[in-house]
Amino acid sequence: MSPTTRTSGESSNYEYVVARVRARRAALFDEDDYRKLVRMGTSEIARFMEETEYEREMNDLGARYSGVDLIEYALTRNMAKHFEDLLRWAEGGLYENVARYLRRFDAWNVKTILRGIYSGADAEAIESDLIKAGELTEATLDRLAAKESIEGVIEGLDGTIFHEPLEAALDDFEVEELLVPLENAVDRTFYEKLMEGLPDAQSADRATQLYLEFLRAEIDFRNLRNALRIARSGADIDPSEYYIEGGTLFDAEEVRQLAGDTDQLVDHVRDSEYGEDLEAAIDDLEAAADLIGFEHALDAALLEYADTLSYRYPVSITAVLSYILAKEREIDNIRAIARGRESGLGLDEIERDLVML
Amino acid sequence: MSVLPTLTDVLLQTYESDPAIPALAAAALAVGLASFGAGYAERGIGSAAVGAIAEDESLFGRVLILTVIPETIVILALVVVFLTLS
Repeated sequence: MSPTTRTSGESSNYEYVVARVRARRAALFDEDDYRKLVRMGTSEIARFMEETEYEREMNDLGARYSGVDLIEYALTRNMAKHFEDLLRWAEGGLYENVARYLRRFDAWNVKTILRGIYSGADAEAIESDLIKAGELTEATLDRLAAKESIEGVIEGLDGTIFHEPLEAALDDFEVEELLVPLENAVDRTFYEKLMEGLPDAQSADRATQLYLEFLRAEIDFRNLRNALRIARSGADIDPSEYYIEGGTLFDAEEVRQLAGDTDQLVDHVRDSEYGEDLEAAIDDLEAAADLIGFEHALDAALLEYADTLSYRYPVSITAVLSYILAKEREIDNIRAIARGRESGLGLDEIERDLVML
Repeated sequence: MSVLPTLTDVLLQTYESDPAIPALAAAALAVGLASFGAGYAERGIGSAAVGAIAEDESLFGRVLILTVIPETIVILALVVVFLTLS
């Protein structure tokens, strides 16, 4: 099950996967649960989680960690379990499309391992930070985390999509002694593979077309976020270096021009096809100049879009996608609450950090 | 050209003969095709049902009913058989 193999002629089993996924989507925390959670202390949150979905993870990890760390590790481990389940159930084309999206965790894991080894962390410390949700198996990840050198890791990735780009970036790394070229290579590979091999927009059925549109929106939002961050930080970075191909919002040239000027950037987004969906968020951004708020609005817009699609096209990938997004939001929200309570933030501040629908 | 009169006879059905498919055989076909349809419909519903039960066992009763609903189409096809027999 490495990220390069398994192309099969099997047909997809949408009905089975969608039924299970919908049940799990419905079991996620709702607004009431969040309202309760923001009023709890960290130990109460931990106890609350023990009585819900997260019971097993909390018990497994309870002996090793405590407090917010326990909550955080339990959250990521639970998420990993659910996403592994998705890959285990899905067959044929559905598997391809789900795996395509979940490979982002492979990218995350590879980057974590590279960073860990670069900073000289031991294998156990690296392993605890991995999210074992992607296509790389647990055994492979453990083996990679135990490697001595960056070169060893890259060699160990032989046969996966990350091997070649990393190999190519290795020279830059050796000259500059910085991880940036390697990390960029991993990210780029992920996003390039995201759009590769998908059926043509014209010949695909409507649900697949929407999936394509969704992936494109994801890339656009990623580019937008990068551009905004560069514009906001005022750092002298060439934004086109971080530009990811495949979106429709800007091309590399436009990014370079716009990243210097937040106002122009905002106008550009307002005039684009996303203008309508993001209207409230854009107004927010202009008024408060609050980047976090805007990023949350992007997340919420994406989640709402996926939800709408999943009701319009019940037997398609969109239901799975909406579950993946919702689950990720839940993990982010609980983590934000736990971290916020720990550092003594007020209710309003924590609530502002949550992405809710 | 000598074929033409015969062909005209066939097209206008001036021959008095048995139909290509006797009534009873046609009824049997109807049942068979309806069963195919029901089977195909149950394939999707069944796999969704198993998925739902895997998540929540209390759904078993409801899901069982949904799974056999396409079976009604076969019963309707059986009506055709009785109509032809009578």
